[in-house]
Amino acid sequence: MSKYTEAELKKELETKEYAYGFYTDIDSDTFPPGLNEAVVRAISLKKNEPEWMTEWRLEAFRHWETMVEPEWANVRYKKPEFQNISYYSSPKQKPKYDSLDEVDPELLDTFKRLGISLDEQKLLAGVAVDVVMDSTSVATTFKKTLAEKGIIFCSISEAIKEHPELVQKYLGTVVPKKDNFYAALNSAVFSDGSFCYIPKGVRCPMELSTYFRINQAGTGQFERTLVIADQGSYVSYLEGCTAPSRDENQLHAAVVELIALDDAEIKYSTVQNWFPGDKSGKGGVYNFVTKRGLCENRAKISWTQVETGSAITWKYPSCVLKGDDSIGEFYSIAVTNNFQQADTGTKMIHLGKNTRSTIISKGISAGQSQNSYRGLVQIGPRAENARNFSQCDSLLMGNRCGAHTFPYIEAKNKTAQIEHEATTSKIGEDQIFYCNQRGIETEKAIALIVNGFSKEVLNKLPMEFAVEAQKLLEISLEGSVG
Amino acid sequence: MELKERLLASYLAFEDRTEMDDHVRNIRSQAIKNFESNGFPSKKDEEWKYTSLNPLLKVPYTVFSKKENSVEFKDVKKYFLHEIDSYKLVFIDGVYSSFLSETTHQGMDICLLSSALSKPKYKMVMDRFYNQATDKNESLTSLNTAFATEGAYINIPKGKVVNKPIQIIHFSTGQESALMLFPRNLIVVGENAHVQIIERHQSLYENPVLTNAVTEIFANKRAIVDYYKIQNDLPSASLIDHTYISQKQDSNCAVHTFSFGGKMTRNNLNFYQEGEHVQSTLKGITLVGDKQHVDHHTLVAHNQPNCESFQEYKGIYADQSTGVFNGKVIVKKEAQKTNAYQQNNNLLTGDKATINTKPQLEIFADDVKCSHGCTIGQLDKKALFYLRARGIPEKEAKALLMYAFANDVLSAVKIQEIKTRITKIIANKIGVKLGFDI
Amino acid sequence: MLQIKNLHASIDGKEILKGINLEIKPGEVHAIMGPNGSGKSTLASVIAGHDAFEQTQGEILFEGEDIQELAPEERAHRGVFLSFQYPVEIPGVSVTNFIKTAINELRKSKGQEDMPANEMLALIKQKAELLEIDRKFLSRSLNEGFSGGEKKRNEIFQMAMLNPKLAILDETDSGLDIDALRVVANGVNRLRSQENAVIVITHYQRLLDYIIPDFVHVLHDGKIVKSGEKELAHQLEEKGYDWVK
Repeated sequence: MSKYTEAELKKELETKEYAYGFYTDIDSDTFPPGLNEAVVRAISLKKNEPEWMTEWRLEAFRHWETMVEPEWANVRYKKPEFQNISYYSSPKQKPKYDSLDEVDPELLDTFKRLGISLDEQKLLAGVAVDVVMDSTSVATTFKKTLAEKGIIFCSISEAIKEHPELVQKYLGTVVPKKDNFYAALNSAVFSDGSFCYIPKGVRCPMELSTYFRINQAGTGQFERTLVIADQGSYVSYLEGCTAPSRDENQLHAAVVELIALDDAEIKYSTVQNWFPGDKSGKGGVYNFVTKRGLCENRAKISWTQVETGSAITWKYPSCVLKGDDSIGEFYSIAVTNNFQQADTGTKMIHLGKNTRSTIISKGISAGQSQNSYRGLVQIGPRAENARNFSQCDSLLMGNRCGAHTFPYIEAKNKTAQIEHEATTSKIGEDQIFYCNQRGIETEKAIALIVNGFSKEVLNKLPMEFAVEAQKLLEISLEGSVG
Repeated sequence: MELKERLLASYLAFEDRTEMDDHVRNIRSQAIKNFESNGFPSKKDEEWKYTSLNPLLKVPYTVFSKKENSVEFKDVKKYFLHEIDSYKLVFIDGVYSSFLSETTHQGMDICLLSSALSKPKYKMVMDRFYNQATDKNESLTSLNTAFATEGAYINIPKGKVVNKPIQIIHFSTGQESALMLFPRNLIVVGENAHVQIIERHQSLYENPVLTNAVTEIFANKRAIVDYYKIQNDLPSASLIDHTYISQKQDSNCAVHTFSFGGKMTRNNLNFYQEGEHVQSTLKGITLVGDKQHVDHHTLVAHNQPNCESFQEYKGIYADQSTGVFNGKVIVKKEAQKTNAYQQNNNLLTGDKATINTKPQLEIFADDVKCSHGCTIGQLDKKALFYLRARGIPEKEAKALLMYAFANDVLSAVKIQEIKTRITKIIANKIGVKLGFDI
Repeated sequence: MLQIKNLHASIDGKEILKGINLEIKPGEVHAIMGPNGSGKSTLASVIAGHDAFEQTQGEILFEGEDIQELAPEERAHRGVFLSFQYPVEIPGVSVTNFIKTAINELRKSKGQEDMPANEMLALIKQKAELLEIDRKFLSRSLNEGFSGGEKKRNEIFQMAMLNPKLAILDETDSGLDIDALRVVANGVNRLRSQENAVIVITHYQRLLDYIIPDFVHVLHDGKIVKSGEKELAHQLEEKGYDWVK
């Protein structure tokens, strides 16, 4: 990242309270709270969507109405009141900007404080950024560079208009609109999100990234992401999230669909640092996400996530290994502190022959938080020679938190080879004394030990993300050991 | 009428014709109420996700055998571990057989639950222990509690080391076209006492039998309990077995479960550690084929500090058989310095065999050492080749490797005759004669 | 440099050290010998400030300052280094990252900036050569899967990097073969100077053939029962600890 970013970010990360707790006042065009068919139609109309899209949303909505919120996850919270949420809000519509100068300065300021400074990224980092600010995409950069390679990287709304054939072909194929309660809700009301298509044989020359922010009070955020890697292509996609500190629960129900066609590879990395609620457990984001990828023959999908934020996390980035010789990977660090609750993990569905999957999950619980790993490894009857290796390690800090492991392993083929290991431990007093003796104070020693514990996953992140993630781990755990 | 309705109707008749004191009546009526409201579990219940009772519920089981049956000793001799001197508690179609049994009241009680439940001199013990370790919300346990009248009652007083193992055997004769049994065992082991128990359910004729058994074990301070379950029933028999163990400080309980036979076997094995420095051991070998289904659900509740638990389950699944292992370790906030270990290894040898495993940890204390591991795989091809290169035919080589796979569990068995018996069963199952003795 | 006066210390209410008196001047090497359970390792831990031990009586003066109330890291910052008998594993943290952190924390305590990366690299390279440590070793997780010899060599490497005033070597010879012992002892000897002091805690005199002590003290049942010069170690080896009881 740029010089400015690193220095600024570092400074912000040094403060103990949630660093991104500020709120941008942009005059927005917000729907009154409530959800019904008319609202769904209005969202679609507002976005000038074609008829098929409106119908698609309505179908999802009608099904959603028949569904009930799932309760199997190991989390306790007050259910959101779905009729009290506003389902559309967008920064004032203006004609598209020619340059960043025309963008609302307040918005730019927000990004600066977040350390995302668009202009500098444009100049220095080689990262194309599609910024999602309260649901509507307001700036997209690097389009030209990408367009030369035939790569499409735009908002999903734009894609619906400009590339309907691709959207119609793939939207909802990996996460069907009736998949689960939150996915159905998202399908009905999704506001915006990112769309990415990498043509056959193209290796995307830069890391694509999207920064998400939840902003308007009481506005749910319903992102929809669709990434399609055509045959033999490669893309690395970064997603980073922070949210302003607000004393109100905010619902987030995103859907991410990845499609890796024959011989393609998608690497999807997330750093999630939404407002986790304050020290007494008040407020914080509810994060109910459905992320799933489909691998065709010899394709590979790799999910890497660092989850430090949100009051409630319900998230299982998964891989459907449909094609022969396809590969799925999941690398995760989940940190919970204070009153946070996380129920996260992955599903590896082995359908094709010679499919392989790897799961490395590191859970760190502190304060009075509850951290659960929930995973499914399923070997279908036709998945000859499937392999899975899973490792789930939990680190407990203090005596009021909990660490839980719920691995489901289902094998229906005798040639399957599955290995699952899990450990739970604490930071040893002897480890801390050893560090102390070398002149390293206790808080720093804990940061060092936690970093070491998380290393296998941190190493999987793109460089610039790894630095940020490491710092997030530190601030997330500050003050957690007395 | 559905099985549930028939059972509820039978309960009315049962309550009517059975004499019981208020305490027991109260326990039974609570239990039947719980069963009535929860019914038979379905696959929607997390604990029954991988095991369906539906096929069993279609069978027109009779709850009570209409007449007393007897069997000739020579016909059942093979089901006893006859090489060793032992106490014996034998039941035929749920009814005690004094002819086949060997009980005692000398310095300890190794006798019948029915008399313990009815005789005043046992009332204090019954009030204190009977149905106290069970999970009152578990529907099938409640069903047993409602109907159970007979089983083993074993009470070993303080400091007593029982000089020979105790065999508990439940036979079903097939006199009824389909029979449902509710054996119930209560075992109280006093401070510093030591006992070894072997338990078996056996059908003698191929009429469907569904056994829904409950065993409660109370281990007082420093008590040592070794419990062996041999499950090698006919393909017509199904077993739902619940074992609840409550352990006081410094006690040491081990349960070994050997599952080879039966159509459907479900084992719920629950350990509750209620004192410090408790050791709990859970081991199992499962070797099944055809369309057999074996489901092991274990729970170790670490409620106190400085305790250990050790679980090791090995499974070999052939043909179209299905295995389930759901091991749950819960470490309460108070249970610091817990050391919990859980291992589940499986071999799939059948093209259509399935294994579902879910080793679960729920941990609320920070100063603990918990680990679990689980593997699913095949026999090591290199090892197999090595053996064949030394002239051992493929079938025997496979058998040898399978035996080696299971041997970790077998080697912990303290009664030599059980080891020999289990080895023979394994050899039979694999279809070879192992050319060595253990 | 170090003055220990009538030091008593206990763990879980059980008294281990029962009145230790010891004075160490800059440039000196003191050996502390004694049978198992005599309190040798406890003495090392108490000087380093391990909070499992309670200092019940007496005082420890380091450069004239009573250090009883100081945290272990503060003692380390003042120049106390303990080479652990059983070095602790920290998975995922490389030897390099660990020592970098330690050095920069030391500098921070003195109000200095972090050591520039190139300077750090040069220093690591120099000290690694001294201990015959290769680059691959430096990127491994701290003490994880290290052999006994590697662990001890790593301790002395850290000592070389931190350049302490007082180094306490707790059973640094245990688990070492003769080659490793030579490397470790050589490293220690190269680091000796007129400004620093070393305490060598050992059960056997073997290590003292390589690191020649100025004084030898025999610890028994929490007290120093005999003090002398180098020859005392040889006498102990011949006659056994019963001789001093």
